[in-house]
Amino acid sequence: MSAPEVQPGWLARHGLARPVAMAMLVLFLLVPLLPGEYWTQVSTEVLILGLFAMSFNLLYGYMGQISFGHAAFFGVGAYASAMLFVRLKTAGGSIGMLDFFLSLLAGPPVAAFAALVVGFFCVRLTGIYFAMLSLAFGELLFYIVFSWYSFTKGDDGIQGLLPPLFFQDAVNYYYLTLAIVTLAFLVLWRITESPFGYIMRTLRDNQRRAAFLGINVRLHMLINFVIAGSFAGLAGALWGPFSRSVNPGLLGWQESGVAVFMTLIGGAGSLIGPLLGSVIYTLLQAVVKMYTVYWPLTIGTIILLIVLFLPGGVLGLIEKRLKARRSAGDGET
Amino acid sequence: MAAILEVTNLHKHFGGIHVTRHVNFSMHEGEQSAIIGPNGAGKSTFMNLLTGYHRCDAGKVVFEGRDITNRSPHEIARRGISRAFQVSSIFVKMSVAENVRSAVHAQMRRSFSILGAASRIGVEETGRVLALCGLESKRDLIAGELAQGDKKRLELAIALAGKPRLLFLDEPTAGMSIEEARSTMELVDRLNRELGLTVLFTEHDMGIVFNHARRLTLMHRGEIVVQGTPEEVRANEIAQKVYLGEHHV
Repeated sequence: MSAPEVQPGWLARHGLARPVAMAMLVLFLLVPLLPGEYWTQVSTEVLILGLFAMSFNLLYGYMGQISFGHAAFFGVGAYASAMLFVRLKTAGGSIGMLDFFLSLLAGPPVAAFAALVVGFFCVRLTGIYFAMLSLAFGELLFYIVFSWYSFTKGDDGIQGLLPPLFFQDAVNYYYLTLAIVTLAFLVLWRITESPFGYIMRTLRDNQRRAAFLGINVRLHMLINFVIAGSFAGLAGALWGPFSRSVNPGLLGWQESGVAVFMTLIGGAGSLIGPLLGSVIYTLLQAVVKMYTVYWPLTIGTIILLIVLFLPGGVLGLIEKRLKARRSAGDGET
Repeated sequence: MAAILEVTNLHKHFGGIHVTRHVNFSMHEGEQSAIIGPNGAGKSTFMNLLTGYHRCDAGKVVFEGRDITNRSPHEIARRGISRAFQVSSIFVKMSVAENVRSAVHAQMRRSFSILGAASRIGVEETGRVLALCGLESKRDLIAGELAQGDKKRLELAIALAGKPRLLFLDEPTAGMSIEEARSTMELVDRLNRELGLTVLFTEHDMGIVFNHARRLTLMHRGEIVVQGTPEEVRANEIAQKVYLGEHHV
């Protein structure tokens, strides 16, 4: 798969980054006002998977490498957090507030370490070889978790991850997730707009030229890989208490595919694109599953159409419209 | 004047083809030289060997007294050697200013900075390089959408942003109009004359070569066959036979 169609930074270049981000934040804040818990639950999923997809996009949209094994770090983060959660739980099955937050914090560093080991090998390759090696490592980690019953509980997964009473309320857990994802978004935005973020764009566009600027290509790629892995781990850590369990499927290639789909739908050219993709993907999934069991067929068709007709995703389409309008405006004056 | 670059017995082969054969070459600080020769003479390979893109099979490259043989491209760039490529090698999806600014950040050793705002670091230097290369008015354009001549200028700007002490230019005027080529070479002359930048370029346009290089090296089949001032090379019989004859100089 080639590098993304849209230039990261175009939203900012058109002065749209803040308004779009603020509008999304306001909408997210208002979600719990909808009747019933269902949409709050769906929106929690949107946020967690959106963070996962944004972390994937650090590799794809900014560094120009596609990973089919990124879910490994989502899963490692989820398991690290869940395993600590289980250890900190009292005999009665409940967990204290401080211990709960401690368990959440375990996800990112453990996922970052896993990313460091996997990335050490992956960044030696580019293109399809990078993609295949990341897939191989992802599947390797999946099978370790799947098979090591004494340590990970194998295909049973880890159950009973009931957060403290306050966060058992769907709205409270949703706001906690929103706060963490917003904070993560701000940090990711800072990184992508930093000199390091722009060096990533140079690696996406032309690695050879970047090396001749004095840039240690592999080291920069590895650091980005670790950052992406740690944010995927944070998303994974949030997933366990949300779904009350973790299972090996979280590390599998199908979960990696979810991040790819979300990024393609929303647009890889900006930080917010994958989050928008998560909104579209998750809401669509929730709606489609109400009426039919053919969700894979539906999403397959949508991805097919996007790849064929909207290579820049939804945000890419908006950019094209903006450009066309601007050109028309220039023509009139 | 001290030698800034010393190349001794440099050799490279790809399979059975010897593309650079035991080349000895040196440059002095502040010099502006050209390497000429027919297609396949080994000019670009020679530059690739000097800048770490290819590994040498034998020989030694010393820059400012330090052995840089078979160092990686990024290490060599950090030592103060920049290069511009024959086919413009830029960051096509980034704006012109972002191209130069990233090169400035690399030069400032800020490429690992993850929390500073890129748009606020190296602003002055970016503006200076853009102005120097006549790209100020195009700073917000996407690099991939530039005309060929502007892409070559941007390529030069990226190389200059690294604040090199030795600059390699591989066919710097390829694809440019006559006017663009003239102004580009005037800029190179100015950098050499006013800033003392040492420049080595390859070029097929003999008009440019004889007007802008003070020393010429003729390569043929991976070997240096003639070296000297433009007048000496022009008068050389071997040079006439293997290359210059076809250019009627």
